[in-house]
Amino acid sequence: MGRIVGIDLGTTNSLIGYVDAKTGLPKCIPGPAGSTLCPSIVSLDPDGSIIVGEPARRRLLTQPERTIYSVKRLMGRGPADVQSELKLFPFRIDPNSNHVIRVRLGERIFTPPEISSFILRELKNWAEAYFGETVDRAVITVPAYFNDAQRQATKDAGKLAGLEVLRLVNEPTAAALAYGLHEKPAAAGGKVAVYDLGGGTFDISVLKLIATNEGDIYQVLSTNGDTHLGGDDIDNLLQAFVHEQILQTDRIDFSPHGELAQELRKELIAVKHKLSETESVTLRFPLPNGKVFVHEFTRGALEALIRPVVDRTMAPVKQALADAHLKPGEMDEVVLVGGTTRTPLIRRTVQEFFDRKPHTELNPDEVVALGAAVQANILDRGVQNMLLLDVTPLSLGIETYGGAVAKVIPRNSTIPASAQELYTTGVDNQTGIDIHVLQGERELAKDCRSLARFILRVPPVPAGLPRIEVKFLIDANGILQVSAKDIRTGEQHTIEVQPSYGLNDNDIERMLEESIEYAEQDFAERQVIEARTEAESILAATAKALANPSAASLPGTERAKIDVFVAALREAVQGSDYKQIRRQIDELNQATEHLAELLMNSALQTALEGKKLAEV
Amino acid sequence: MSTSLPMTNPPLVCWNCHERAVGTHFCPSCGKVLQVPAKSDYFAMFEMPRKLWIEMGSLEQKFLQLSWKLHPDNFVNATPEEREISLKRSSELNDAYRTLRDPVARVEYLLAIEGSRKEGQNKQQAPPELLEEVFELNESLDELRGARASGGDTASLRQNLEAAEKHFEEKLSEVDGQLQTAAREWDKAVDESADETRRKGVMSKLNELLNRRSYIRNLVVNVQKELL
Repeated sequence: MGRIVGIDLGTTNSLIGYVDAKTGLPKCIPGPAGSTLCPSIVSLDPDGSIIVGEPARRRLLTQPERTIYSVKRLMGRGPADVQSELKLFPFRIDPNSNHVIRVRLGERIFTPPEISSFILRELKNWAEAYFGETVDRAVITVPAYFNDAQRQATKDAGKLAGLEVLRLVNEPTAAALAYGLHEKPAAAGGKVAVYDLGGGTFDISVLKLIATNEGDIYQVLSTNGDTHLGGDDIDNLLQAFVHEQILQTDRIDFSPHGELAQELRKELIAVKHKLSETESVTLRFPLPNGKVFVHEFTRGALEALIRPVVDRTMAPVKQALADAHLKPGEMDEVVLVGGTTRTPLIRRTVQEFFDRKPHTELNPDEVVALGAAVQANILDRGVQNMLLLDVTPLSLGIETYGGAVAKVIPRNSTIPASAQELYTTGVDNQTGIDIHVLQGERELAKDCRSLARFILRVPPVPAGLPRIEVKFLIDANGILQVSAKDIRTGEQHTIEVQPSYGLNDNDIERMLEESIEYAEQDFAERQVIEARTEAESILAATAKALANPSAASLPGTERAKIDVFVAALREAVQGSDYKQIRRQIDELNQATEHLAELLMNSALQTALEGKKLAEV
Repeated sequence: MSTSLPMTNPPLVCWNCHERAVGTHFCPSCGKVLQVPAKSDYFAMFEMPRKLWIEMGSLEQKFLQLSWKLHPDNFVNATPEEREISLKRSSELNDAYRTLRDPVARVEYLLAIEGSRKEGQNKQQAPPELLEEVFELNESLDELRGARASGGDTASLRQNLEAAEKHFEEKLSEVDGQLQTAAREWDKAVDESADETRRKGVMSKLNELLNRRSYIRNLVVNVQKELL
């Protein structure tokens, strides 16, 4: 089996990491452009191919209607959930979307898991090129506050990308792992708060580090957050502010999410980043009417503008501490994660609240992927010296009589967690019991998140006679599984659970078939093609060199040796073992070294010494 | 029917090597993780007697030790069957720890496995000695809602409710104290291998206190909601 990688599938950027076997340290893998950050942007080329990352970012400006960013905001959500997002994000939702959102890119329609799978596939390709081997198993991080549907959507995306998702890990927990806080002597038995403000999501987790004889345990005590709060919201505030200014002074309305709005957004993000380093930045933005919009932003003004966003993070922070029965001053370590925490206002706010200087040593963009890599390594080798005990962020409940919700697994329960409920019938010959599973803290079903509805089939017998035990189990990924058992007969029922906001097995099956159309070739296949191309060029160069008059002075034994290796390489090219082709290329290169020397012009000889024939 | 002696799990046969496996969590002959025995309970999982006083430090330690062994992280490369068992066992371990470390949930669970938990016939019905206070409280709540709806002054009403909240919170800790006393009686009955009648008596007392507690707790939560 191939190695296991760790992936941070972020709102703004995505990264892939692994643990270096020699150093034992996690590392992020760079893409072809040298950066470890893959912008989470996907574009559909008019020729039908999928473009991901930096090249797709450029298309945000040139082909906004074929390009999408921040798709994570749509994962596991229904059309009604995202109405408010549509005012701020240029998502083109297909009007025929029912329980799963469908997004239009150019002439095609995709679900959010499919779009995310393109990003995952791109990262998979980075890793395969880096390792020179197939990568098919991964740990993927999710916001701690993601609900069941959002987690399931992420898992589906992995499957569609050809990855077996071994574990979904909560982002703040991953960050704590990356920091390796258990190694700090002061932290043994210590309490850690992880404040994670990313592009689109906010999480707070409170952990306890426990040293045991077997090794160190990271036990999450509580978690809270907001899956729709992040740097995007700051960008939206900035954009709305400038749109208003321009509307006032130049009567230009930006509302449609066109090229100009995207261009402005890009500039404003740059302004935001610079204001983390300097006190003031001047924006000069050319307008279609020929004028230039000029505005000086100061850090103070930016902070006044974004304070509402920062304030919104504090209620979840307080709730998480209350749930862990801890006070802000009782934290031994505070960790900042996510690009948005570079903002000085956030650093100050967090430091004041906890009265403790937060950790910022690791690159906040990379830290989650590094932690995912650490967890991948744990899974690969089995638990050896570190164990992670995470919790479910939201209470699991069942709808009861009158639309109320009975909580069966409370929030912040260590996962895996389960609960059994006993059901019977109310009328004679009733054949089904309607069960509605929800997630959330509110008391009424209508205020909670619907996870699934299903009908429990029972034999037609007198009322009260059937006794069906339904087991709700939240696995280590935070995903719900349901099973049922007839207590009288001991018979196990299988339950077809139709998710309220997700893809069913048939959807996934169909998408898997379709994804082949978009999939880049399999890694091994690509290697074979590349090796064959190289083989063809060296074979051609060899033939050309042998035809050269100066090749006549080559000793007969050497000439015979070259012929043997040429034949061997020709044979290898017929096969599909790229390693064999590479071996034969190396053999032929060695065999033709002398020939290459002979061919060299005497004037060039010194300069070209040691070069291979194909390079001459 | 029920016994309160320290429980070990009944013997079972290992699903993997088919040897008789008397261990609690792993098969002593082949080392594979074992299925949860049908008659197991949370106390037995931690190898503890069915008593209500639990030393939290040792409970946590046992929980962590078992977590190391049973957690699904250990079984990623195992067979699907072992993965399934690990998932089941570690979820049950977490359920057990969650229940036993909470003193009230612990009593509820004990009564449930002893077959003696009976929820109040009518949860909405106030215990007789609280009737008058509950009546007053509900009046104050109505007044506050009314004042809020008509935009009237709520300050003094809030003060009333805050006083009532404090009062009922005191009642709650009173009940918690009574629960502790009854819990000690239970443990004593277990230690002295008391007869069925004495056990039933303690259990019915525990049961009544739980119902009372849940009623008062609901009151406090309702008041807190109005005061938010």
